[in-house]
Amino acid sequence: MTATSTHRRGGGYLERPAPSGLADVIEIILDKGIVIDAYIRVSLVGIELLTIDARIVIASVDTYLRFAEATNRLDLYEKSKDLPEVIQDMQQGGAEKKTSGAIKGVKKAIGSGDDDNEDGGSRPAKKSASRRRRQEA
Amino acid sequence: MTALQPNPTVDANVGTGVYVYGIVREDAHDVARDTLGIGGQALRLVSFEGVSAVISRVPPGDEPKASELVKTHARVLEELNAASTVIPVRVGQVMIDDEAVAHEVLRSNTGHLHDLLDALEGRDQFVVRAMYNEPEILAEIVQGNPEIARLRSRTRELPADVGQSDRFRLGELVAYELDMKRRTDGATVMEAAEPYVAAHVLRESTDMHRLLEVAFLVDGDCRHGFEDALEDVAEAMAERARLQLFGPMPPYDFVGD
Repeated sequence: MTATSTHRRGGGYLERPAPSGLADVIEIILDKGIVIDAYIRVSLVGIELLTIDARIVIASVDTYLRFAEATNRLDLYEKSKDLPEVIQDMQQGGAEKKTSGAIKGVKKAIGSGDDDNEDGGSRPAKKSASRRRRQEA
Repeated sequence: MTALQPNPTVDANVGTGVYVYGIVREDAHDVARDTLGIGGQALRLVSFEGVSAVISRVPPGDEPKASELVKTHARVLEELNAASTVIPVRVGQVMIDDEAVAHEVLRSNTGHLHDLLDALEGRDQFVVRAMYNEPEILAEIVQGNPEIARLRSRTRELPADVGQSDRFRLGELVAYELDMKRRTDGATVMEAAEPYVAAHVLRESTDMHRLLEVAFLVDGDCRHGFEDALEDVAEAMAERARLQLFGPMPPYDFVGD
C-alpha cells in the first residue's frame, strides 16, 4: 500500500489525530468488515455485548429538548445585535450563563465494564442500521 | 503455508477455535510474521487458491476482554494493511478450526475475495470527521431564523419546567436548521474530496454537532491531492467547524457487509 508519507503542506487546520482510545477504535471499526456466516461461526460473547452497547437510539423528544437547552445557553454577547437581550444578560450578572459545550449528545461509555476507556467515554455511541451511499470504484 | 492443513493443536484445546482477522493474497504470506494476535497468540495463514485468511488461536481459558479484542484486531489489521492489501473481517469472528476457515470462508468465496483484493489494491481508507463549533453554529442559526430567535428569547427567561411546548418547537427548528447546514457544508467537503477518491461511504451519526463523517477510499497516487484539498476545506471552515482526518487505515468500509 502507500508508503507512509511525510507530505504536509501545512496550514494546520486539518487535524490528524491517531485513534488511540478504545472508543475511537470502536467507532472506526465496529460493524465493519466482512462477516462470516452466522451458522458456522462461534461468537465471542464480549463482542456481542459490545455491539449492543454501541447501538443507542436517541428519542427525538429528548433530542429536541437538548437542542433547545443548548440554544438557550448560548452566549450571544459578541455575536448578537439584539441589544435588549444583551442588556438583560448583563443585568442577570451572568449567573445563568453557561458557555459552550452544551451539545454533548448522548454519552455512554463504550466498553464491557472494564476501565479501559482511556478518553473517558466521551464519544457518542453510534449508529443504527446505516444508510450508506456507496459509489463503486 | 499449505492449504487445508489441520491445526494439530486444536484438539488439545477443544472449543477455543481460531480467530479470523482478515484476508490477504496468498503471496503476501510474509506480512503476518512478526505480528501477534489476541492474547499474544502467533498469527498464521490458512490458504486456498491464492487467498489466505490471517488467523490465530483463541487463547485458552477465559474469553478475551472485549476491549483488548477490539484493539488487537485493529492493530493486526493496521499492520497487515501497511504491508499489503487486506480485507478486514469484522471483529469477533471465530471459527471451529483451520479447515472450517479454508472451506467456509475461503473456498465458498474465492472469486469474490480475489475481486475485492483487486479493487482494493494500492488504496487506503481515510475517514473524515467534521464537527461544528457549537457556539458559532448555534449563533448562526439563531440569527438566521427569526422564529428561533423569538422562541429562544421567550423560553430562556422561563423556569426550566415551564414552556415545554415552546422549547420543543425551538429544538425542532434548531435541529432542522442544523440539518440544512449539514447538507450544504457536507456537500462542500464532498465536492472538495471527490476528484481524489475512488469511492466513499457516508457514516451515520447521532452526534448533535457532527457535520459529516465519511470514509474515503483513496489511491496512493491521489493521497497528497486529497490531503491538500481537505486542508483547504478545513481552513475555509475553520471558524465554524473542525475537520479531522483519520488514516491511512484498512478499508473497513469498502468490503461490504
